[in-house]
Amino acid sequence: MKLPRLLPILLVVALVSAGALPLSSPAVAQEQITLVVWDNWTRDAEQEMIEILNDEFEAAHPGVTIKRATYATDDLTNILPLELSSDSGPDVTMINQGYSGMGALVEAGLLLPLNDYADKYGWWDRYAMGLHSRNSFSADGKQFGVGNLYGVSNTAEVVGVYYHRSIFEEQGLEIPKTLAEMEALMDKLLEAGITPIVFGSLDGWPAIHEFSVLQGVYITLEELDAFMYRLENGTFDTEANLKAAQKLVEWVDKGYFSPGFAGMDYDGATFGAFLNQEGAMWITGNWMTGSIIEELGDEAVGFFAFPSEQEGVPAIVPGGVGLAYGIRAGTKYPDLAAEYIDLVTGPRAAELLFERGFFPATALDPALLTPGTLTADVFDVWQAVNKANAVGHWLDWTAPNIAANIQELMGKQVTPEEFVADVEAEYRGG
Amino acid sequence: MKTLLRGDAVSARRPYERPYQAYLYILPGFVIYLVFVLWPIVSTVRYSLTEWTGFTTPRYVGLANYERLAKDEFFWNALGNNAFFVLFYTILPILVALLLTSLMTRRHLRGMTIFRVGLFVPQVMSAVVVGIIWRWMFDYRGPLNSFLREIGLTELARPWLGDFTWAPYAAGLVGTWVEYGLCMVLFIAGVQSISDELYDAARVDGANLWHEFRHVTLPGLQQQLLVAFVVTFIAALRVFDLVFVLTRGGPGRETQVVSMLIYERAFEYHEVGYGAAMALVMTVLIVSVSAITFYVQSRREERENAR
Repeated sequence: MKLPRLLPILLVVALVSAGALPLSSPAVAQEQITLVVWDNWTRDAEQEMIEILNDEFEAAHPGVTIKRATYATDDLTNILPLELSSDSGPDVTMINQGYSGMGALVEAGLLLPLNDYADKYGWWDRYAMGLHSRNSFSADGKQFGVGNLYGVSNTAEVVGVYYHRSIFEEQGLEIPKTLAEMEALMDKLLEAGITPIVFGSLDGWPAIHEFSVLQGVYITLEELDAFMYRLENGTFDTEANLKAAQKLVEWVDKGYFSPGFAGMDYDGATFGAFLNQEGAMWITGNWMTGSIIEELGDEAVGFFAFPSEQEGVPAIVPGGVGLAYGIRAGTKYPDLAAEYIDLVTGPRAAELLFERGFFPATALDPALLTPGTLTADVFDVWQAVNKANAVGHWLDWTAPNIAANIQELMGKQVTPEEFVADVEAEYRGG
Repeated sequence: MKTLLRGDAVSARRPYERPYQAYLYILPGFVIYLVFVLWPIVSTVRYSLTEWTGFTTPRYVGLANYERLAKDEFFWNALGNNAFFVLFYTILPILVALLLTSLMTRRHLRGMTIFRVGLFVPQVMSAVVVGIIWRWMFDYRGPLNSFLREIGLTELARPWLGDFTWAPYAAGLVGTWVEYGLCMVLFIAGVQSISDELYDAARVDGANLWHEFRHVTLPGLQQQLLVAFVVTFIAALRVFDLVFVLTRGGPGRETQVVSMLIYERAFEYHEVGYGAAMALVMTVLIVSVSAITFYVQSRREERENAR
């Protein structure tokens, strides 16, 4: 029993003396720098990924030590305002988006604008401009989505259409390239007695994705951004939203969605119904990819981008980027911090993230992907919508109640016109 | 207080010379009460007079939040849902519990303890667990609908918790299922304190089950009824967890209750001041209904004692 207890102590002693040696050695003339980094990588696989990157960074920069600390998202949001104003605060930190996260920090002048570094390192090309907007604020922190860049992200989320390859093969169906083709495909499925889209709205939020993809068929990104970022011309009362609402009701009437969808929850009923092939398709986010592969393997299910009315142009779909890396305004080592961010959000990080089942935001070496797998499909969709700058928004960021409104719409409690008016009224009031 | 201090005289202190000593004893408890109950209430009152996002500087706006509340259709909708839930959290559980009590106390059955424990179980379970179980029960492919289809009532099968007409009833019934256990335990304890002679006398007079219940059990349970009413009424007004797990307030806003609206406003819309105003209105409502109930009861007792 003695040894296991002693072992960690011995290890620590060994490490400390090993680390202390070069410090005390006069032969090393280099400046000793400690770069303090705070991140949000709490899961084991994530820790592993970031430790590898940190080791590589330290190896490439002799004399630099990275002191890393990890916090949950809410904790980061709560303590950053205080910690970033102190000299001992992190030089580099991950930041949550939105007014209460990044906005509050920009307003207090605690973050360094990254525009120059973005030019220097080519960060603008990492992913779509629309996604950089999410890490942007006006210099006074009052206006979201415009102005300076304050962060760079390295993970991505996107909503698309999962489908059972076997059902498509049996019914002789092709991936639809336009909305009209999608509807024709669903009519065919109905004739064969198969539910086209597995869907459940009991939890509320999944209904947002159903509306969003249809909204994305008709709306422009400018219109959507104006609504989401509450710009002067921001409104929900648009032709596009009305058309999307009408189309959604039409789809309900045609029976494209699971029978009894109003009473189905997401994690249990809907996920289960898709796995059991109680429907051919499922419109949801890439976060389900891992769970689906775990249950059905990487080849049974495919993923395609929700089509628009025009072939080859993806509809705007809900999606986004993960927490962003930013730099403390008062840091002594801004250049080094930027170099670090370049590494942890760059291609090497993407590779490591991908190997561990996460979805990097930046482009990936195509050699890593096996065509015909779900993983490859999801990446293709992300690249396609990313390239077309068609990554839309999570509507509930700006309209937290929209799920209730969509339930009312799909439950025929309100007309599409009333739905649009209700959301607009809350948008104006909220 | 006096008897308490007299008991302390063993330690040869003279209590009446230092009356503040008594206050010292309640000080620790009072400090906790002050910090965790009184101060938050005072803060809530202050916040309710401001416009505050939760992280910027609060701005004093007077009674604007209350004016807005009076005109807020979502608030009245949610309050109406709370009132609807009173039927299921308070009235129905009391009726069910009275029925069970009169059945279970009439004669001694074998294994009675097991029945009582079994019937009390819903009250003991965490609301989240209850919610998840009933979500499954009410699922479109779940046991309830399977049963309906099995007995040929296929057209009655529906997604209960997502149905705009039935979701409030379904969510309410789960509340009944949770609350009746508490009422039942209260009533059984109450019945046990009613003298057996009263029942014997009633039986000699030829009373049936109903007569016994009406003229012996019910009058003997007044105190317990009052407690059951107040406790379950408060539960109906402040319910959050159960409804949140069951329906998230949906479909639409059919089952949204005030506590969910407070959460939504304060933490999703960052309107902490407005949320505080709502919370305060509910506090006043709950306290006044409890106070009125106890007042009416004490008056009645006075009258009975005077007789």
